[in-house]
Amino acid sequence: MRKLIRLAVLVGVTVWAWRLFVARRGPQERACVAYGDGSSLVLEPGSPGFERLAATARSVLGS
Amino acid sequence: MLASGAVEAAQALAELTELSSQVDRAVVLRGDGSVLASTGDDATAESLGRSALELVAAAFELRSTPEEVTRVEVELADGAVFVLCEGGRTIAATTGPQPTAGLVVCDLRTCLESIDEAKPRRQRKSKAEDS
Repeated sequence: MRKLIRLAVLVGVTVWAWRLFVARRGPQERACVAYGDGSSLVLEPGSPGFERLAATARSVLGS
Repeated sequence: MLASGAVEAAQALAELTELSSQVDRAVVLRGDGSVLASTGDDATAESLGRSALELVAAAFELRSTPEEVTRVEVELADGAVFVLCEGGRTIAATTGPQPTAGLVVCDLRTCLESIDEAKPRRQRKSKAEDS
């Protein structure tokens, strides 16, 4: 039983540390577009649509 | 001298930047793409306005079937750009990194609505003054 608790604590600490040090490190970049018909698109980095929108946004943020 | 619409828009933008600490710069565009009001100087407003229209055009081309773009959000490591198109007007704003997107969109929508509401109120007021 004590081994089981120890294992659960170890898993919890590992997940917390991974989220704190690894998952947060990368910038969370994304683009979202909504349309008049109620539909929307979420674009992730690497997609051509995201790169096009990001290039325009960078020109504004950099100025 | 500024037209009444521009005064209302400038007032709405002043309230927006006062209430929303996340918004750095903002601009309101007319239906034809010209600048109605902005928080910065003319050059900054022109640049942000032009980029907002480019973002809307790029977003329009993302879909195979043509549909009106109502919102564009681009969140990057350096900051974010938000564009909202409603009631024939467009509002664009920049923020710092990791903004609360929902709150910013809500603030921008409120700003656009306050411009639209101010117009009939003013018209009613002037009619009441005439009679």
